[in-house]
Amino acid sequence: MGAVARTLGCALWGLETALVTVEVDVANGLPHFAIVGLPDTAVQEARERVRAAIRNAGFEFPLRRVTVNLAPAERRKEGTGFDLPIALAILRATGQLALEPDGLCLGELALDGALRPVRGAMPRVRRALAAGITRVYVPAGNAGEAAALGAETVPFATLREAVAHFDGTARIAAATAPAPAAPPRWASDLRDIVGQETPKRALEIAAAGAHNLLLVGPPGTGKTLLARALPSILPPLDPDEAVEASAVHSVAGLIDPQHPLLAARPFRAPHHTASHLALVGGGTPPRPGEVSLAHAGALFLDEFAEYQRQVLETLREPLEEGAITISRAGGAATYPARFVLIAAMNPCPCGHAGDPTAECTCLPDAIERYRGRLSGPVLDRIDLRVHVPRVPYERLRAEEPARECSATVRDRVCTARARMRARGRRTNAELTIAEVARHCRLDGAAEPLMAEAMRRRTLSARGYHRVLRVARTAADLEGSERIGPDHLATALLLRALS
Amino acid sequence: MIALHPHDPGYPAALRDLVPAPDPLWLEGLEGILVRPSVAIVGTRRMSPYGERVARELAGALARAGAVVVSGLAQGIDCAAHGAAIDAGGSSVAVLGEGITSFLGNARGRRRRLAAAMRAHGALVSPYPPIVPAKGWMFAKRNAVIAALARAVIVAEAPTGSGALITAADAVRLGRPLFAVPGPLGTRTSEGTNELIASGAARACLGPDEVARIVGLVAARSVATGDPLLDALASGPLDLDELARRTRIDRSALRARLVALVFSGAVVDQGGRFGRAG
Repeated sequence: MGAVARTLGCALWGLETALVTVEVDVANGLPHFAIVGLPDTAVQEARERVRAAIRNAGFEFPLRRVTVNLAPAERRKEGTGFDLPIALAILRATGQLALEPDGLCLGELALDGALRPVRGAMPRVRRALAAGITRVYVPAGNAGEAAALGAETVPFATLREAVAHFDGTARIAAATAPAPAAPPRWASDLRDIVGQETPKRALEIAAAGAHNLLLVGPPGTGKTLLARALPSILPPLDPDEAVEASAVHSVAGLIDPQHPLLAARPFRAPHHTASHLALVGGGTPPRPGEVSLAHAGALFLDEFAEYQRQVLETLREPLEEGAITISRAGGAATYPARFVLIAAMNPCPCGHAGDPTAECTCLPDAIERYRGRLSGPVLDRIDLRVHVPRVPYERLRAEEPARECSATVRDRVCTARARMRARGRRTNAELTIAEVARHCRLDGAAEPLMAEAMRRRTLSARGYHRVLRVARTAADLEGSERIGPDHLATALLLRALS
Repeated sequence: MIALHPHDPGYPAALRDLVPAPDPLWLEGLEGILVRPSVAIVGTRRMSPYGERVARELAGALARAGAVVVSGLAQGIDCAAHGAAIDAGGSSVAVLGEGITSFLGNARGRRRRLAAAMRAHGALVSPYPPIVPAKGWMFAKRNAVIAALARAVIVAEAPTGSGALITAADAVRLGRPLFAVPGPLGTRTSEGTNELIASGAARACLGPDEVARIVGLVAARSVATGDPLLDALASGPLDLDELARRTRIDRSALRARLVALVFSGAVVDQGGRFGRAG
């Protein structure tokens, strides 16, 4: 029997993955256990876990010279997912395992030989499937994630179970893909909100075209309620979007084992004390931040003006690029970050500027300073800015004629999205400048309006394209192929002209 | 920056009504400006949307008529008046309650931008030497200079106890025609101005035309616009929904009208709320 055994693992940097061959050589010599191939601390510590797990599972750890190589050896490997492939390769090299494992192995070992789930199973299984490896051996806690991607998944609870499976003494059945989660019931529905026609329309446009939205209004007028109603009108996730978004959540360790694939678009609402690392991601190894966890969904920043300025400035790149690259000395990780930004803020420090029922106690300079906390570049990326006024008591009580419920609005949003997909993009917000020129032609009456807006220099060049995208969405929501003056007027007024 | 002494030809004769007259008066900006016909527009720092609109409309109309708008470059009404005069292509003089250099070093934001515009289209003046920093007691002298420099004084909006009422008292003492803008009853911000009218100290200011006539100029009469949309905005900015409710104009037509009004400069979009421009 040759003393070299091989198993297959997978390394993970951010969402980037690479298959890693775990080679184990057991040779005569003084007892020694080394791991080479640029392991980080967590991988180095695998030595202690693997040694204890093998012994406590009732097998023998060789009192010989054990060398583990993680190939390719030039990139740093991190995390605890290599415990299982290392242990299996050692058992195989010492003749305690009858068959060499023929698929991707993944899992962290407990000292007693139990297998613990690892973060980031989903992108690793996806990499294996892309490489044509359909069989994966994972801890029972990661089985759902792997099976949901369509891999032939063999779940192990302990190292002993794994050995019995490969020896053929107790075969373990492949896990079945978990049933998709039922669509969630949303806490707030548009029907619950009285009045606020323009804010609701802006919300619908934001949902349809994935445009960013800023709600400004006195406290208690329903800004948060409106923002929280957004998920209820967002279209369902496409299958590929679901996998992409779930992979980010897998890396962050936020997957629900029962329903590993996200059933609805994520809605993230970090508190305004969030640091910029929490928002855009960071750390070593770089973990995804809120912008990436909100990928394919919405990021809600309440009390927008209370965020530290530096934190808000970090949003500029993800808002523009739809992705964030976190570069550190140890390497760079790129996470997707294509989300709808919903921001809400008060009009002034006391919150009552422009509120007819309460007197604002702020001096004009204080109001200007407060609004100045949002920089031009950040504001320029927000296409829709609406005022959310206080609704008087009489109107809160009065029965309005049949308010629209979220389901109706959602149907319109889905229809509009279908029109957008026919143009080759998921949403109008993703249209490139060339595509804007092609698809956002203004009709005869709208053209002079745009010319006037540009002549009065109320728009930057970026603003010009953003207004056209919003006008396109307004037209799509009405099922109109041409952008008329009313669609453009809507886009211009929602952007705030001065 | 220059220092004007009472015997200098550029020294405004009207200032000699003050005893003692400021000597020297420091000036940064256009030198001849202090001898042109001028109207002071003063008011509270904590202005209401109504006060802001009125101050802007009066200042804009008077500046177009050729009057120099004099005020104190404080937050609120003062800034609204200076800004509207400059926006209308007119000129404006700010009387500061501290040294000019000290003010320029400390002003931030809107007032810093306004100060820059006024050095080009008007002047900053001060009875205090350039580097004297502001102290609370120094503003009474500033208010007296404002009242003395102007041929007429308008209090646009002031609650009782407002510093603008000191300027009003100075105007009465110096014999300058005093106007006060009547405000809605029951609002604190107009208590002082309404009281000035009720006591007979000030005449009710019903528009720029009468004030302009008193200083020897002709301004357009202020009349209700007759446009239901602009009328709806008279007491302050409104959002689109509220406008639609009040004017009962169809939404799509309302949007088209609003965009046209913003482009024509009659209405200002304040981030989803629309206000009348001065």
